Amino acid sequence: MSKVKKKHRLVDAKAPNLLEDIFPYDLPPLIRLQGSAVEHIDGKPVEFDFEAVKDRPILITDTTFRDGQQARPPYTIEQMVRIYDLLSRISGPNGVVRQTEFFLYTKNDRETLDRCRALGHDYPECTGWIRAVKGDFRLVKEAGLKETGMLTSCSDYHIFQKLKFRTRKECMDSYCEVVEAAFEAGVRPRCHLEDVTRADIEGFVLPFVDRLMEMSEQVPEELSAKVRLCDTMGFGVSYPGAELPRSIPKLIYKLNRECGVPSDRLEWHGHNDFHKVHVNGGTAWLYGCDFVNTTLFGFGERTGNPPLEGAIFEYIALKGDTCGIDTCAISELADYMRSIGLPIPENYPFAGRAFNTTRAGIHAGGLRQDERIYNIFDTAKLLSRPPRVAITDKSGADGVAHWVNEFFGLRGDDRINKIRVHKLARWVIDQYDVEGRLTAISDQELEAKAKEFFPDYWDKYKTKVK
Amino acid sequence: MATVEERVKAITARKLGVDEIKMEDSFTADLGAESVDSIELVAMFEEEFGIEMDEDAALAVQTVGDAVKFIAEVCRQQGVEIES
Repeated sequence: MSKVKKKHRLVDAKAPNLLEDIFPYDLPPLIRLQGSAVEHIDGKPVEFDFEAVKDRPILITDTTFRDGQQARPPYTIEQMVRIYDLLSRISGPNGVVRQTEFFLYTKNDRETLDRCRALGHDYPECTGWIRAVKGDFRLVKEAGLKETGMLTSCSDYHIFQKLKFRTRKECMDSYCEVVEAAFEAGVRPRCHLEDVTRADIEGFVLPFVDRLMEMSEQVPEELSAKVRLCDTMGFGVSYPGAELPRSIPKLIYKLNRECGVPSDRLEWHGHNDFHKVHVNGGTAWLYGCDFVNTTLFGFGERTGNPPLEGAIFEYIALKGDTCGIDTCAISELADYMRSIGLPIPENYPFAGRAFNTTRAGIHAGGLRQDERIYNIFDTAKLLSRPPRVAITDKSGADGVAHWVNEFFGLRGDDRINKIRVHKLARWVIDQYDVEGRLTAISDQELEAKAKEFFPDYWDKYKTKVK
Repeated sequence: MATVEERVKAITARKLGVDEIKMEDSFTADLGAESVDSIELVAMFEEEFGIEMDEDAALAVQTVGDAVKFIAEVCRQQGVEIES
C-alpha cells in the first residue's frame, strides 16, 4: 500500500452542496478553467492561457452541406433550405454558428445557395468549397461569395500518392498559384490543410503556411488567407506531451505563434475515426483556434465530424451563457432529419430519441424525487425534451410512476405517486413474469393502458389537446 | 366488525397467497412480497380502510405488526372508525 500523502477531513453537512455554480441546471454544466496549461514544445515550456477562452471570440462553423453530404445521398434543395433555416435559429443573433459551406459545381448546388441566401439570415454566412483549381474561382465569383475553402492537401500520402506531384516544391507552387488566383478574383481563400495530422510539419506544412502569410501581407486584410487544419483521418491527439504531427496543441502553436496565423484565421476540422472528434475540437479552441468546424449530428465522411450540437453545448459550457443560441432548434432539426430518413441512434447525445431516457427503476426513483439526480441539465428548457423512462421489467413502480406523470404532463403536487399506478405497474411486471416478454414496452402500449387505468386523467389531460 | 389486525392479515394472506401470518413477519423477507406487491398492498389497505397513506411512510413499514399500528394511527388521524 502506498504511503499516505495527505489526510482529508470529512466536511460534515446537514444540507446538500449541489455545486450549483458549476451545475446550474438551467444551463449545461459549466467548464470553468483556471490559469494556464503548459506544453513542452521544442524542449521549452510554452504557456497557453485557457482562462482567456471565456472572452476569446471562439465560434463554430458548419460543413453539413459539404462534408456532411459526402456521407449520404444528396439532400434535395428544399431539405437544405429547411436545414439552413434551422441552423440560423441555432446560431442566434450573435452568429455563434458563423459560417456554412456549399458545393458550387452543379446547377442544384448553386440554386440551393441562392435559395438559402434569399432567406435573408445574417448567419451562418455562406461560403464555398472548391478544388485547388484556378478555373474554379469563376464559380465562386459568379456565386458572389466572399470566401471559399480550397483543398491544399499537405501529407506526403496526398502530395505524392494521391495528387502525383513530383516534388513538394511543385505541389506548394501549384497551391500558391491557386491562392494567387483567389486574391486576383477578390475571394478570400481558406486553405484546407488536408491530412495535416499525418504530414511533415517542419518540412512542408510550416514552409507552406509561411508562404501563405507572406502572400497575405500583399492583399487587404479581408482577403488574407485563412487556414483550416484538417484532421482528415482522425489522427489528432489532445494529450499534452503528444508528438507532432498528431499533437493538436503543438500544431496550433506552430501555426499560430511561429507562422503568425492569427487565431481568427485558424480553424479545426476533425474526424471521428478514433472517437476523439468532439474533445479534439474543444482542444483546438483552448489552444488558439477560434473556429471549430462541425456537422449536424456529426454526419460526415466515414465516422463523421465534430457534432455541431456537441460544440454548441461545449460553447455554452465554456462561455457560461447561451449567447443567444436557440438550443431547442437542435431538437427540431433532429426531428426533421429523422423525418427525411437520416437515422440518429437512439442513445445519441442531445438528439437521440432516448438520450435522456432511463431504464433502471432505481434511476427512475431518483428522477421522481429530483430530476436533477439523473438528468444532465434542464433538457425540457434547453431541448424541449423532459427526461423520460423506458418501461421494462427493471423499471419498477418508480419508473412507471415517472412515465405516467410525464405522459400526462403532471407537475409538483399534481404528480401521481406510485401507489396510484399499482395496476399499471402490475400489468408491466406480469408482461415479463407471466407472459414471458423479452422486449421493452412501447409508448403506444403504455398509452393504451394509461387510458384504461387512468380514465379521469385521460379525460382531463389528453382529450383537451385533441 | 373485524379488528385492524384481522383485516390486515386477511388482505396480506389474499394478496401474497400465504396461509399463516404472524405479527412479526416481514412483508419482504418472510412473506416474499416484491416491490410491486408492496405498493399493491398499500393500495389495498387504503381501499379497505377508506384512508390515504403517505407513500414514503407506508412503504417504509417492514412488518405486519408495524402495518397494523401504522394503519390504526392513520385511521385515528383521518377520523375513520375501527375496531380495536
